[in-house]
Amino acid sequence: MKLIVGIIKPFKVDDVKDAVKDLGVQGLTVSDVQGFGRQRGHTEVYRGAEYTIDFVPKVRVEILVDDGDADRVVQKLVETARTGKIGDGKVWVVPVENIWRIRTGETGPDAL
Amino acid sequence: MRTARDRLIGDHGRRGAAFGRALAELLDGALTRSLASAAEAVEGRLSLAAIGSYGRAELSPGSDVDVALLHDGHTNVAEVADRLWYPLWDAGFVLGHAINTVKEEVALAERDLHALTAWLDARHVAGDPELFTDCVARIRRLAQRRRARLVDDLRSAAEVRREKFGLVAEMLEPNLKDGSGGLRDAQSLSWAGWTLGEPGGWAALVDQGYLRGGDPSRLAAAIARLLDLRVALHRVTGSRSDVLTLQEQDAVAAETGAEDADTLVRELAGAARVIAWLVTDVFARLEATERGPGGRVSRRDRDLGGGVVVRDELVAFSADASIDATLLLRAAAAAAELGASFDRASLERSKEIDVVEWHAEARDAFVSLLSAGRGAVPVFEALDQAGVLALLLPEWDRIRSLPQRNAYHRFTVDRHLLEAVAECAALLDDDGFDGEVARRARADLLLLAALLHDLGKGMEGDHSVVGAEAAVELARRIGVDERGVATLDWLVRHHLALAETATRRDLSEEATITRFGRLVGTSDRLDLLYALTVGDSRATGPAAWGPTKAALVRELFVKTDSLFELGVVGPGLDAHRRETLERHRTLLARRELAIDWTDRADGLLECAVAAPDRTGLLARVAGVLALFGFDIRDAAGYIADGMALEVFDGADRFGRLSDQEGRDAVVIALRSALTGELPLHEQLRARIRRYRIPDPGDVSVVVDQDASPSATVVEVHAPDHVGLLAQVASTFADLDVDVRTAKVSTLGERVVDVFYVHDAAGDKITKQLTLDQLKATLLARLTSEYWLPEPT
Repeated sequence: MKLIVGIIKPFKVDDVKDAVKDLGVQGLTVSDVQGFGRQRGHTEVYRGAEYTIDFVPKVRVEILVDDGDADRVVQKLVETARTGKIGDGKVWVVPVENIWRIRTGETGPDAL
Repeated sequence: MRTARDRLIGDHGRRGAAFGRALAELLDGALTRSLASAAEAVEGRLSLAAIGSYGRAELSPGSDVDVALLHDGHTNVAEVADRLWYPLWDAGFVLGHAINTVKEEVALAERDLHALTAWLDARHVAGDPELFTDCVARIRRLAQRRRARLVDDLRSAAEVRREKFGLVAEMLEPNLKDGSGGLRDAQSLSWAGWTLGEPGGWAALVDQGYLRGGDPSRLAAAIARLLDLRVALHRVTGSRSDVLTLQEQDAVAAETGAEDADTLVRELAGAARVIAWLVTDVFARLEATERGPGGRVSRRDRDLGGGVVVRDELVAFSADASIDATLLLRAAAAAAELGASFDRASLERSKEIDVVEWHAEARDAFVSLLSAGRGAVPVFEALDQAGVLALLLPEWDRIRSLPQRNAYHRFTVDRHLLEAVAECAALLDDDGFDGEVARRARADLLLLAALLHDLGKGMEGDHSVVGAEAAVELARRIGVDERGVATLDWLVRHHLALAETATRRDLSEEATITRFGRLVGTSDRLDLLYALTVGDSRATGPAAWGPTKAALVRELFVKTDSLFELGVVGPGLDAHRRETLERHRTLLARRELAIDWTDRADGLLECAVAAPDRTGLLARVAGVLALFGFDIRDAAGYIADGMALEVFDGADRFGRLSDQEGRDAVVIALRSALTGELPLHEQLRARIRRYRIPDPGDVSVVVDQDASPSATVVEVHAPDHVGLLAQVASTFADLDVDVRTAKVSTLGERVVDVFYVHDAAGDKITKQLTLDQLKATLLARLTSEYWLPEPT
């Protein structure tokens, strides 16, 4: 099993959700995060006053999938989240040792 | 024992208080039998007391069972106790037990608030009745002796509960026991009654005028309702938690025979409000009595003017005041601002009001009530409990205690609206960015919009749309001016637009910003909507507002605001800006060199130049203007569809531009300057020689790469002199640097010119070499007599 983690632009979240749902993904977790990549923070001028944005708002998406599905889901995620502009984000995949569904106690791929 | 208890829990016909009594009877019987058999082996006196909720016979399935075994100090009681407690432990009860002599028990009560209050509810179960009566009497006397401390402790405990658990009536997931207006609050009222001596409890509070005659039956009904829900909740979950979570509300509704979860929650809120309001009122008055010299003898009233006084730290009407809505609202505003409670007798008197007339004074008082922020919350509650809120705002009836079932909200609709008002009021005092924006907005409209934005919740249709209609009606009724009404209408209708666009649209797309800017229309509305969005989101709950959303909302706000500043959109700009924009648009539509002159209200002259875009345009236009004695104070330039628009505000130094002839001459000169026929450089040089050339020490050039995300910002600081803008602009042109926007400000003798520039490809200038060259060239030319290059 794999954990797919994506850091994406916030407004892309609904698109990504719909896209991976179409692939049969059962659930995903999103959280609001902030950070910087090569995009860096920046300073905006507002009515003559400056304010600095050190971190850029992003959304972190986490999806648990079976090994065989990981590539497809990642590909879909990358496609959907891409705008071609700076700050589109990153996706990475990490191996998962085991999964439990808390309510039923199921484990492994059954708990996906 | 366990079977008997399980049977009771399984008997769904025994609800609420009836269940509590039945379980207490079951326990009483078992304990009486155990004590009878165990006591045979012991000499001396023993007495078994039920205390706490067991004492009141108000047990729920998950309640702790609190018992005390009193003895006279001569017996080996531990053995007896074991035989009493073990059967209960075996049956799965959570037992709170104490074994003490009367003296020890009283000493404990002296130290510990919980021990004391538990005994105020004590009931004799078995054994020696005298030991019990002795102990209870001593503890009741103790409560009376320690009145000041006990009242203070009870009141601060109630405040801690309010802080920690929130109000039962207003939380979407209320805590039935510890929430404000919950069971614990109701009990603390009765305990407070014991500080007044016999007959104790609510009866003592009634006797001494702290409660009204009808209050005990209202309290009893409220407690019965809470107990019913608590027993049902414990039954449904099989656990001890007193939090009525959203996911259990349907089941609890079914268990208690409520129509549905919403009905359940609203009925609960009604009960809890009675308790919370009486607790607040009674404790405020008990404390006032404690502080006042000579008990309830009132000191002199502090006159706040206009019939409103402060009496015993309570806000009240003066005896001779004629009572109307204006007076009520002024007193309400005073109570909110002072953080004081509303005198209950005055509240009762305000029921005399039968028609509300919204004079300007009443409206102002209402707005000051709102601007008190969080202080307004208890005042609204007091008005509501006295039945006068519905008179002032009949709309409140529909949203009172109205639950909202989604993952973001924490509060019922009514409390959410008051929270939003409080958050917006707090923004007006905020030091940071948000406060700066909020203070630019019309404060009355911001606060009213916060109060009314969700008025449409619970109605058919889109709550923003129907809510806007309701808000307009209310605003007209209270006499808000028509412009204000229109703004409120728009704000309520679009109160989610900023947050939604910011989180769901690509803010790096210009179209997103333009479209949003068109929707908003004016920067007044934008400021209001921004402040309302921040206030509303903070009032919703932590899930609705965090750094991410804040950053996105702010980004959209700033981008839209700059759009308004540049005049790219803005159908709703003020008449003057709109007219100016219209002129510029017409000018650009001619698609050839054209100049438009306008006299400004401040005595300056605006010169708008439209021309097909080309390198060096700004330099030439600025140069020609300098030749004609036009002293540039402010300049800005934009490019669209291959046409450039340069707008200059300045002074007509020699009066040559006041008539058409002079103005036509400028067009002719500019035309020949653009074709190269006019020796612009030479003429300018000749003119500049008549003035002093600045010293190198007076000139500085600063390059800032961080000020703008998309352009390099070059600031030129120099003493003001003729042709300065032309000089700088031509330097940029020679170095293939494209000026996107120029801002010229004159500060007395000095000028600060700010240029947002691009390289030839339209990007930030990143090559250090180019930047160094730019700086050096600017410095050299600005401080030299021969600053203009020969024409190329």
